[in-house]
Amino acid sequence: MTARTGEVRPFEPPPAARESLQGHYAGFASRFAAFAVDLVVLTGIFLLVLAAINFAASVLTGNSVHFNRGNIWVVIAYAVWAFIYFAHFWGLNGKTAGGALFGVQVVTNDGEDVSGRRAIGRTLAFPLSFLILFLGFLGILLGDQRRALHDVIAGTTVIYCWDARAARLRMLSRPRYSAPRTPPESPSLPESPSQADPSADLDQAG
Amino acid sequence: MDPFAPLRSRLAPPAEALAQTIAERVVGLVVGALDLNALLAEIDLNAVLAQVDLEPVLDRIDVNSLLDRVDVNRLLATVDLNQMLSTVDVTALIGRVDMDQVLQQVDVNEVIGKVDLNAVIDRVDMNAIVQRIDLEALVEQTDLGAVIAKSSGGMASDLVDAVRSRTVGVDESIARWVARLRRRPYPGPPGPPAGLQAAAAS
Repeated sequence: MTARTGEVRPFEPPPAARESLQGHYAGFASRFAAFAVDLVVLTGIFLLVLAAINFAASVLTGNSVHFNRGNIWVVIAYAVWAFIYFAHFWGLNGKTAGGALFGVQVVTNDGEDVSGRRAIGRTLAFPLSFLILFLGFLGILLGDQRRALHDVIAGTTVIYCWDARAARLRMLSRPRYSAPRTPPESPSLPESPSQADPSADLDQAG
Repeated sequence: MDPFAPLRSRLAPPAEALAQTIAERVVGLVVGALDLNALLAEIDLNAVLAQVDLEPVLDRIDVNSLLDRVDVNRLLATVDLNQMLSTVDVTALIGRVDMDQVLQQVDVNEVIGKVDLNAVIDRVDMNAIVQRIDLEALVEQTDLGAVIAKSSGGMASDLVDAVRSRTVGVDESIARWVARLRRRPYPGPPGPPAGLQAAAAS
């Protein structure tokens, strides 16, 4: 095995993400970011479907259908779609699109996979955490198991499902983080310590 | 002619018998009174061994045939090795032995064949050894990193790893901030759940 020289490190993860957190309770930022991504995804898909319906109606009838937030049927359809989205993914493998992106997974209190019934219960209890002035989310910040109100009701919790240490090793192994060493500009220049000793470059880069 | 010759010839046998009896008695008493261990303790074995040239002696000895004739276990059972070794300067003794020559006479393969490697490995704490390896330095400074890079995903997975790492950092910052507000120590990320711990332990 040979040594690589001239390391350039554009990204250095925080200390907490240098050790494997797989299985530990997920924190507020990860869960909130995952939810935000889910919201974008499910809303985007919903709008795409509405646009498709509008296009189909205009082709078939010649009249376009105008959807807006004041339409109660649109609100009901959005709520039903959101329910299906969350209940389906949580029951499938505990991971929604946002959860998969940010590496968080819904499991039972004991760390088991979430059953379909429990996923439906969690989805139904989810709005409660919003309806009580977001106080339902305080448990994520203050609780030992970082459980929100809907987690307590459904008997679930959220954990990190990605291996931070493995990810860091992958990042360190990328060849693009290595830059070739620049040759000396002038041969007449006196030899610097870093030129004389290649390991000095490593020390400076590290 | 010796006038005492007849007398001497008559008295000599009983006198010799008497002297023999006295000598045997005296020797028996002296030997019985001697403390051989104390006598051995008085002897400077190092000085004795320093005067012995071991190399020609070892050259002339066919160790294998000698060992075949010796019941080593019985011999060793009668020797107080601790007491013997306490009087010997082992370092100086080993320094005088040509180990290369000794090892040339030893069939290393046969010796290794007698070793139960599985039993040896069972006694080694592999986890402790792995824990002592700096994996990050290993991956970062060797071609092993290139192997891992080839076997894992590309830019997208790097981006996802970076985003997740940053978010975990924010998680921990928030948790520490909340702990400071509550005036409680923050021991680090909590978990994992009991079921996962049991699964990891098994």
